[in-house]
Amino acid sequence: MIRAALLIVAKDARLRLRDRSVWIFAFVVPVALTFVFSQIFPDQTDFQLSAGIVDLDGGDVAAGFTEGVVPELEGEGFVTATSFPDEAAARTAIEDGEVAAAWVIPAGFTAQVTSGDGGELRVLVNPDRALSAEVARGIADGYRTQLDRVSLTVATAATAARGQLPQAELEALADRAAAADAIVGIEELIAADRQLDPTSYLAAGMAIFFLFFTVTFGITGYLEEGQQGTLPRLLAAPISLPAIHLGKALGAFVLGIVSMLVLALASDLFLGAPWGPATSQGIVGVGVLVVAAVIASLGVMALVGSFAKTVEQAGNLQSIVALVLGLIGGVFFPVGAGILGQLALASPHGWFLRGLGDLAGEQTVAAVLPAAAALVAFGVVTAIPGILRTWRATS
Amino acid sequence: MEALLTCEGLRRSFGKLTAVDGVSFQVGQGETYGLLGPNGAGKTTSISMIAGLLQADAGEVHIAGERMTPRANGAKQHVGLVPQDLALYPDLTARENLDFFARLYGLDRDRRTQRIDQILEVIGLTDRQKDRAGTYSGGMKRRLNIGIGMLHEPRLLILDEPTVGVDPQSRNAILESVENLATDGMSVLYTTHYMEEAERLCDRIGIIDQGLLVAEGTRRELIATIGEQDLVRLKITGDVTAAATACDQVEGVSSSDAEDDQVVCLVDQAASRLPALLSAVASADASVAGVEVKEPDLEDVFLHLTGRALRD
Repeated sequence: MIRAALLIVAKDARLRLRDRSVWIFAFVVPVALTFVFSQIFPDQTDFQLSAGIVDLDGGDVAAGFTEGVVPELEGEGFVTATSFPDEAAARTAIEDGEVAAAWVIPAGFTAQVTSGDGGELRVLVNPDRALSAEVARGIADGYRTQLDRVSLTVATAATAARGQLPQAELEALADRAAAADAIVGIEELIAADRQLDPTSYLAAGMAIFFLFFTVTFGITGYLEEGQQGTLPRLLAAPISLPAIHLGKALGAFVLGIVSMLVLALASDLFLGAPWGPATSQGIVGVGVLVVAAVIASLGVMALVGSFAKTVEQAGNLQSIVALVLGLIGGVFFPVGAGILGQLALASPHGWFLRGLGDLAGEQTVAAVLPAAAALVAFGVVTAIPGILRTWRATS
Repeated sequence: MEALLTCEGLRRSFGKLTAVDGVSFQVGQGETYGLLGPNGAGKTTSISMIAGLLQADAGEVHIAGERMTPRANGAKQHVGLVPQDLALYPDLTARENLDFFARLYGLDRDRRTQRIDQILEVIGLTDRQKDRAGTYSGGMKRRLNIGIGMLHEPRLLILDEPTVGVDPQSRNAILESVENLATDGMSVLYTTHYMEEAERLCDRIGIIDQGLLVAEGTRRELIATIGEQDLVRLKITGDVTAAATACDQVEGVSSSDAEDDQVVCLVDQAASRLPALLSAVASADASVAGVEVKEPDLEDVFLHLTGRALRD
C-alpha cells in the first residue's frame, strides 16, 4: 500500500510542479500580500502618534494626564504632543494635518472626578488616520478607566464619611488612588498580548491562510482523478482504495509542509520577518507549529471536501471555509485579547498565530505545545468524519 | 475453448434502478467477445464489475481462475482496462503516463523500459513520447489510452466503447489494433453500440439490453435466431402504426414494427410477399413512398429481440 501511495505522491508532485496555480497560491501570493500589508500597517516600533492637547480644566487631575501620562509616552517615543488653547485650534491642526488626533480636557474635569461623578476626556480624530485615531482613543480610554476607579474610590469614601471629609482630603485621596496603578501602556493598546512583530504576524497569517487553499489541491485530487477519467484506471490497477486516498493525503501534506517552510524562509530572508527566535528552540518550535497547522488544514479541508461531488464544488466550499476561518483567526489584522481574540481560538489560524506569539515570548519549544495540541485536535476531530464520509462515498 | 473470463449471474442495482440483472457469459482464451447494446443497456456497469471497479450485488466473476472483487489485486493483474473516457494525465508526457501505470502494475525497471518502448511503437507515439498528452490530437490520445491498458500484457483486455467520439481514420486504426491483439492471443472484451464494429471484430457477441443478456453467439448464430427471413423496410406516408398493424396480418410476415416513418417487417420470401404488403398499407389509408429489402444484420436481430433499434 505504501509503495502505491508513494507512486501517487510522486506523480501528483510532478503534476503540481507543472501547475502554475499551485505556485501562485502556495508561494507567490502569500509573500506578495505580506509585503503589501507590511507596507500598509507600519511596524509598531516605528509608529509615533502626533497628538494635540487642549486643557480647558487646568486642575490636578487634568495635570495627571498632561504632565503625567503624555510626557511618559513622549519619553517612550510613542507620542509627540502639542498644546492648543482651545478645541477649534486643535480641530484646525487636525484638518491641516499638523496632528493626527487631539485630547480635549473640558473645564470642570478635575472637580467632576474628585467629587466622584467621573469625567469626560474627549478625543478628536482624523478619520483618514485610523491607526492614530485608535491609539489616541485607547490612551484616553486607559486614563478614563483609571479615573473611574478614582471616582469610585472617592465616592465611596465620601459616602462613608457622610460629608465629614474636607475637600482637600478628598483631593489627596483622589491623588493616591490615581497613583496606585500605572496607566495602560501604548504597546498593550496596539498589540494586546501579541508578541510577534506586525510583519512576522502578517507573514505567518498569510502563510496559514493560503495553506488552507494549497492543501485543497491534494484533498480534491480524488475528485480530480474521477473528473479527468483516470480514477477507473487507478481502481482497476492492483492497488487498494486506501492506497489511493493515502497517496492523495500524503501529497497534500508534503505540499503543505513545503509551502509553509518556503514561506517561513522567504518571510525571514526577504521581508526580515522571522516567525520565531533564531535559536534551535525557535526553529523546532516553528517546525512543530507548521506540522500541526498542516495536519489541521488537512483535516478541515478533508471534511469540507467530503460534502462535494465535483472539484468545482469542493473548491468553492473549501474557499468559503478557508476565508471564514482566516478572518476569524485574525490573519489579516491582530485581534488582541478581547472577544475577537477569544473567537480566534475557534479557528486553527488563531491557534497557529497564538503559538508563534507564545514562542516569541517564551523562546522555548514548550511554549508552542498548547497551540500545537489544539491544531492537531482540530485536524483529528475534522478528519475522522471527513475520512468516514469519503470512504462511504467511494467504496 | 478454455474460459479465461467467467461471469455468473452478475447483478448490480443503483437505488431502484437495476443496471445489470443476472448477466452470465464466458470469454475464451484468445477470443474477442463483444457486448453489444444501446447506451444505458448495462455494458459499462458489467465491465466495471468484471474489472473490479464495482462490487456486484450478486453473482461472481472469475478471471484465469481467480475471483474478481474490488480488493482482488491478483485477479486485477490479469486485466487491462481501457475506459470509455480518456484516462490519462494531460500534464504528463506519453512516456510519463505509461511509466506511472507500469509502476502501479509492478513492472521492474528493465521490463518497464522495454514495454514502454514497445507500446509507444505500437500506438505510433515514439516520436511524440516527450510531449505532454494534453497537446495530442484526439486520435493520439485515444491510442495512448489503449496503450496504457495493454502495457502490463494483461491476459484480458477490456475496451469500453473505445471509438466513441473518434474520427473515422483514428477509429479504423483502433479497430486494426484490436484485431492485432486477438491475433497475438490476448482475450478481448469489447463493448460497443456500433453493430458494424461488433460484426468486424468479435468472435462471439452478447446482446445486452436493459441489464439483461438477451442473446449470445456468433454473428451467424444470432442472425439465425430470426430465421431465413428478409428484412423489408417500407417508407410510409400516413399512419405508420396502422400500416404496421395491417402488415402484421399478411401471411409470411413474422414481425412488423413501426419505426419513425417506416414499417420494418421480417418476411419469408420477400419478393413474393411485396404486393400483399403494399395492399395492406393501402388498406390502412397509408401509402408507400419507398421500399428496401435486405438480409438481416445484428441491428435487425436487436430489433427482433427487443422491439427497439440499437441506437434508441
